Amino acid sequence: MKSKKYSEALLNLFKKKGFKVKEFENIIESKIIIERSGEIFKKSLLSFEDDNGKNFSLRPDLTISACLDYIKNVKRGIYKYAYFDQAYRRTFGKESLVRNQLGCEIIGSSNLQLNAEIINLIDQSLKKVIKYKTTIKINDINIFYSLVDSLKLPSRWRLRLKRHFWRNDYFKELIMRLETNSDLQKNVFELDKRSYFKMKKLKQNEMIAGRKINEILNRFEKKIKEPRSNINGARVAKIIRDFLNINCPLKNAKIELKKFEIKNQINLKLNQFDVFDLKLKNNNAMFSTNIGRSVEYYTSLVFEIYKKSKNLNLASGGRYDNLMQTLGAKTKVVAIGGAINYDNILKL
Amino acid sequence: MSKLIRIGLPSKGRLKEESLKIFKKNNLSIKDSKRNYLSEIKNFSLNEVVFSHAREIVERLADNSLDIGISGYDLLKESLPGIQKNIQVFSRLNFGFANLIVAIPDAWIDVQTIADLEEISFEFKDKNIGKLRVATKYPNLTNDFFLSKGLTQYKIVNSLGSTEIYPFTSQSEIVTDITSTGKTLKANKLRALKDGNILKSSACMLISKKSLKNKQKKEIILKLLKKIKKF
Repeated sequence: MKSKKYSEALLNLFKKKGFKVKEFENIIESKIIIERSGEIFKKSLLSFEDDNGKNFSLRPDLTISACLDYIKNVKRGIYKYAYFDQAYRRTFGKESLVRNQLGCEIIGSSNLQLNAEIINLIDQSLKKVIKYKTTIKINDINIFYSLVDSLKLPSRWRLRLKRHFWRNDYFKELIMRLETNSDLQKNVFELDKRSYFKMKKLKQNEMIAGRKINEILNRFEKKIKEPRSNINGARVAKIIRDFLNINCPLKNAKIELKKFEIKNQINLKLNQFDVFDLKLKNNNAMFSTNIGRSVEYYTSLVFEIYKKSKNLNLASGGRYDNLMQTLGAKTKVVAIGGAINYDNILKL
Repeated sequence: MSKLIRIGLPSKGRLKEESLKIFKKNNLSIKDSKRNYLSEIKNFSLNEVVFSHAREIVERLADNSLDIGISGYDLLKESLPGIQKNIQVFSRLNFGFANLIVAIPDAWIDVQTIADLEEISFEFKDKNIGKLRVATKYPNLTNDFFLSKGLTQYKIVNSLGSTEIYPFTSQSEIVTDITSTGKTLKANKLRALKDGNILKSSACMLISKKSLKNKQKKEIILKLLKKIKKF
């Protein structure tokens, strides 16, 4: 009963710090998830339709369940959730449909001290329960965004790199395209110039498949003004790759990033980030620019905790300040949370 | 006694005509009655020919109620992984050529590539007017393709036919559809994206993997395939 022993011990430690253990609804309306994440996530939902054609799913993720619970039942103020329960996803034969999730979330407070509080809580609790030394890896994904803003790139390329930062494989492909300019199409604009002048004469508010003519023409003009051929793609790709290789003790992170700024003649505006001042209880804290890239909804601080000797991931989490609104909250509700990698804990 | 092997052939259109031609060319005579969906190859071992919808042939091969059949490669690849794993592609045939492509309204002159489309999808999201809608008969292939190209912010609208008119009847903004000459696209004021080729398809000779595990059936299937030399 290793599983029960660990989960009870961890939840008790969370409770002592003011977290309330909650159980969430098993079924959620699929629309909420699909509207937020698009079709890609729909594929992993275990869904069914009711008699009225409304689509429902088994809960796919307990952070989302906690957010939905807050929107429905708590509505305002700070709420500290702790949970240990099951989430359900289609896995296409690779893993189990049912996954155990143990985690904690603090919803409704932007107090920066909570960043350290939640990391310390998870890290210290893990240490007490599993009795192994841990290493913490920290990152703030806004530093990457700041890097992208500082590079000489067309605005649409900036957006593209930011939007796909969390999709590791596709991001690599993007960087390769940037490096080789392989999607450069010099003649492409010429082909549509005739249509452009014709469309200039039409009513500009007329809609064509959901878009106004003036929107189409404005974007066309913008593309002409910002040709991709002006980018030194190879240089930009190298800077991004080098940036994503930065891995150093957290206490040296600011110095390392400053060196990086000087070397590449860029300005990361480091003074706006508080990640360097996190007060962590664990002395083995590293800063790594390449972590926290698997979850789309993180907005700034991200962390991962590893078993020191085996480099085995034990927990991960981060701040997600925009998720609540995309799930239906009427105003911005900030939040931070983390989940224990329960399957790995059981392997110890 | 039940017929030893069941052969699935498309029940209508050019796929049916071309499939029958293959058997005829190789001196295998199949009696075709327009109203009867069952027939047989007269001059061959115990068999039954079942005329079915091409999509259904794929499913029946997977559950082994058919042993061998002709259908579209697009339909096979669109089916779920659990279905595909039960079917072996014996050969691609020399007819039924078509491409599954991404098509956008001709007037979207600012959109040339999937990367452009991805930006447009975020415009829809940011303006809070819902997701970019993609009408298709091929949701699985479309999802896989878009994911591989970085497009995530869209919504599938399942279509059963006349997909090309969806963007102009407010049912979707773009489509993915099968095209062979591009004429239908052009007639409906749509154009294919340069890097929007999802799949090159043609008719295929397919075999149920379960049938290949049955020694007697396997022998008959291979004998039949040996006779069908000319594709």
